[in-house]
Formats: sequence, C-alpha cells, structure tokens
Amino acid sequence: MGLQMLVNAILLGGLYALMGIGFSLQWGISGIINLSYGAMVMLGSYISLEFFNFFHIDPFISMIMSGAILFVLGAVIYRGLLQPFLKGGIVFTLILTFAIRLIIENIILKVWSADYRTIRLTYAGSNFQFGDAYVPLIKFLSFIVAGIIIYLTYLFMMKTKTGKGIQAVALDKEGAQAVGIHVEKMYMINFALGTALAGLTGSLWASIYSFSPHLIGIIVGKVFIIAILGGLGNIWGAAAGGLLLGFAEVAGATFLGSQWQEAIGMVIMVIVLLWRPYGLMGKKFFG
Amino acid sequence: MLNNKKINIFLLIIALGVFIFLPRFLSGYWVRVITTIFMYAVIAQGMNLMSGYMGYLPFGNAMFFGIGAYATAIGMSKGLPFLLVVPLAAITAILFSILLGLPVLRLRGHYFAIATIGMSGAILSVVQNATEITGGAMGTTLPIIDKAPGVVYNYFYLAMLALMVISSLSLHFIIKSKFGFGIRSIKANEEAANSMGINTTYHKVIAWAISALFTSIAGALYAYWMSFIGPDEVFDVMIAVNTIVIMLIGGAGSILGPIIGAFIIELLAEVAWSAFLEYHLAVLGIIIIVIVIFVPKGMVGSISDFTKKRKLRAEKKVTI
Repeated sequence: MGLQMLVNAILLGGLYALMGIGFSLQWGISGIINLSYGAMVMLGSYISLEFFNFFHIDPFISMIMSGAILFVLGAVIYRGLLQPFLKGGIVFTLILTFAIRLIIENIILKVWSADYRTIRLTYAGSNFQFGDAYVPLIKFLSFIVAGIIIYLTYLFMMKTKTGKGIQAVALDKEGAQAVGIHVEKMYMINFALGTALAGLTGSLWASIYSFSPHLIGIIVGKVFIIAILGGLGNIWGAAAGGLLLGFAEVAGATFLGSQWQEAIGMVIMVIVLLWRPYGLMGKKFFG
Repeated sequence: MLNNKKINIFLLIIALGVFIFLPRFLSGYWVRVITTIFMYAVIAQGMNLMSGYMGYLPFGNAMFFGIGAYATAIGMSKGLPFLLVVPLAAITAILFSILLGLPVLRLRGHYFAIATIGMSGAILSVVQNATEITGGAMGTTLPIIDKAPGVVYNYFYLAMLALMVISSLSLHFIIKSKFGFGIRSIKANEEAANSMGINTTYHKVIAWAISALFTSIAGALYAYWMSFIGPDEVFDVMIAVNTIVIMLIGGAGSILGPIIGAFIIELLAEVAWSAFLEYHLAVLGIIIIVIVIFVPKGMVGSISDFTKKRKLRAEKKVTI
C-alpha cells in the first residue's frame, strides 16, 4: 500500500512537473500570468487525438507536432496581442489571456464537443511489478518522456545561445539590452517555449487520461500551485513543485478523501505564498 | 464629464427617476437583465475600490459573493427573516475579509491576485464538502416569496438599484475622505505612503472589508432572488473576471465607470447569447480583446480625455 502510493505519486508528479514548467517560465521570465495555459494543454491533447484517429500515430510521436503547433501559436499570440500591453500591468495580461482561453475553449467545444475523449492505445492495459507495487507501463513511459523533456529544456536554457540570452534577460533586462541581446525576441521565444511545453503535456495527458474542455480550469489551478511552490521561472523548482503537488494530492486523496484533492493544493499554495513568496526553491534575489 | 457640477447631479437624479419607473414599461425578462446589470455594477464597485483606487487586484473576490449568498441561505433555513439575515451575511463576509486580509494583503501584485484565487478555491471546496450545513455540491434552496412573479422581480429590481446607488454614493464619499486619500496614496507608491505615516495595513484591510461588504450584500440579494444557489455558480471565477472586464471598459478609478461598464458588457453578453449561442464564449473573448485594444482607459477615461483635448484646442484658438 505504502509503496503503491509512492509510485502513484511519483508518476502523477512527473506529469505535473512538465505541466508546471511552461507556466512558470512564462510567468517568471516573460512576466505573463497565462490564464489560457489550461486551454493550450487541452489543445495539445486534441491535436494528438486527431493524429491518432486519422493517421493512427501514437501520442508519444504526435506530441512533437502538438509542441510545434503550439510553439507557433504562442509566438503569434505574444507578438500580436500580449507584447503591446505588457506595460499596462497585470490587469491587461490577465484579461487578455483569459479572453484567449475563452476563444480556444469555444473552438474546442465546437469542434470536439464537451464529451470526455480517450485515446485507446494497444498497450494501455499492460503494467509491470516493482516490489509490491504495480506500475502501469504507459504512465511509466510518460514519466520517462516528461523527464527527458524537462532535461532538454534545462539544456536549452543553459547551453544554447538563445537559452543563455533568455537567462540574461530574466536576470537584468537593461543589462541584456546593453550587450546586444534582442530582449523582445527573447521574451517571445520564452513565451512560445512555454506554450510548446503545454502542448507536449497535453499529448502525454491524452495518452494516459481521458480529457474534456471541463479540465481547462482545473489545469490552470494546478499550474498556479506548481509554479508558486517551485519559485517562478525556475525549471528544477517547478519540477520539484510538480512532484510535491503529486504527493500532496495522492496523500490527501488517500487519507482525507478525493473530494478534498483540489482544496489541499490551494491551501498549500496560500501557505507557501505567505511563508516564502519566492517559492520553496526560488531565491529571494537574482544573482 | 460635464463641467457644471449642478447639472451633473441633476442629470443623475433624472436617470435615477427613469430607472425607478422603468420596470413598468419593460417585460419581465428585461427587468431581470437590468437587475443583473445592477448586481454586477455593485460587485464592480467593490473591485473598483480595491483595484481602481488602491492598485490591488482581488481576483478571488467572488468568494465574498458566495459567502454572502450562502450565509443568507443558511440563515433563512434557520427561519430568520431576510432583513436580519442580510446584515449577518455582511458581517460574516467582513470577518472573512479581515481574517484572510491580514496575512494576504502583505503580498503585492501578482502574488496577491493569486493568493485570493487560492482562498476562493479552498472556501469553495469547504462549501462543497460540508454537506450537512450547505447542501454540498447539489446546492441549496431558499424560501420562495409568496407573491406574483412580476411583483417579486420588481421588488428585487428596486432593491438592487438601491444597493447600487448606495454603494456608489458611499464609494464616492469614501474616496473623497481622508481615508480615501490614504488608499489612493497606496496605489501611487506604497513605501512612500508608509513612510509618510499612513498605516497602509489598516487602510488595505479596511478597504478589502468594504469591498467584501458590497459584494456580500449583492450575493445575499442574489440568493434570495434566485431562491436556489449552487456552489459552482456563486463561487465562479467568471464573476470576478466579468467584474474586472466591466471595471476596465467603464474606467477603473471612477465612480460612474463600473455602472456604465456593467451596462455595456451585460447588454453585449445578452446579444452574444441570443445571436451566437454556440459561439458566445468566443464572441465574449473577442469583445474583451477589442475593448482592451481600443479603449484601454475605459469609457469614462476616454471621454474625459476627449473633452480635455477639445477644451485645450478651444483655449488655443482663443489665445491665438
């Protein structure tokens, strides 16, 4: 029982970790609280669904497509809509991203209806044993894939020129500008990277769970908690926040009952906000 | 908007008179629509005090709407009369706002907005799970007034109108008072206000309590009006989102702004619902984007900009 719970928590937490990173990067570096993040995750799920229905492509492969499509969408939304209003402050970005959420949600409802959809993979039922615990193969695979994507994102941020540019912009905007970094371009790439991660998460989600537009609001609630727990704009922080939320939800569902699952996350988030507003792993100041 | 203060007051009194007698000429459907508009105007005034004047964005302010509605439902199920339950509901909401506000109002900007969403979500979960008291996720019913529907709708129309007038007037006087200057100084620069000897914590908590007072009474009236409430409906984040949009389009930081914004948004939403039933969400989203792009300062701000420019132009002509 104890080991099974631990396994469940880690497998759930891995997906949450990937889900939270994109949101955390967008908030922490581009300075945008993306309320349309949940809709973008679901869009990724539906893109994988279409690829599966028409071409029988596995979500683990079609996730590349949903990542690419959402990268472009994110870049367009940032350049066209959000960038001109960044100076207006928090009210404008919140309202604009919420409007984008409404539009995407409406498109999803119209095209795919409000019903729950699933992608039935041939190996969906198979699992293997680890000690006393059963590990579903598909959850294990998506955990591994999520880990690889998180590591690749980290490598991109640390090793490539663009990634270093984004880091520099996050550290000191004026300073980065002074040494010739195109600040707005870095913000755009970072935002688009965030939406691409949302699309990738959506595809992984679609391979494991069923999905519907109903989840959009729930996902936004979760990524808020993960980002706050980890500290904004911090990749490993968000990963740890995702794992922590996974543990809290599984433990809460086991000991208190599943109806308290949502509340537990919210309460933890408010406590962390009051106690360490810069996140459990975040630093108070940059540098 | 106009220069003469007396003419302004006169016009507002005429508008009030028109609204008092308007239900006689309208169908029951439109009476309900306008009652909803008044309700949103009240909630938007609460948001306006916090965001437009003080610079804090309480994204989870719908929780006070829900608390007001549920306190009314619980009080009336115990057999208390409505007029006694309303003050009790308001006091409950104020207590919540003070208890939650003391820790949360230390946070700034994004963090404050998010913490209020978290609290709203947590209270929603409690309401959904405390089935014995609140009726749980199924919702709960209130006693129905034993009169013809038309009379009842008229009654709530006038009550909501009165609430809107009272909340707008009190906001007007609060902003003009010394306390109001304190609140506005927090928006301008909180550190500076603090060092000038303004007790910012006190100002912030009291402002949120006033915001909670407006919002909870609107919730109490809404609960009795609908005679059925569900937790998802009265704690809906959409209430806060609508309110922010209303405040933005009307003009944040002005008394008439939220009222004008409530009329524009709710009437547009009504058109969107009837004309594009399947696309009403997308239409609402597009309306929001268009509003933010074209009238970022809100209607009141844009109109006063326009009159100022015209005045300047006129003055220039005279001097030349």
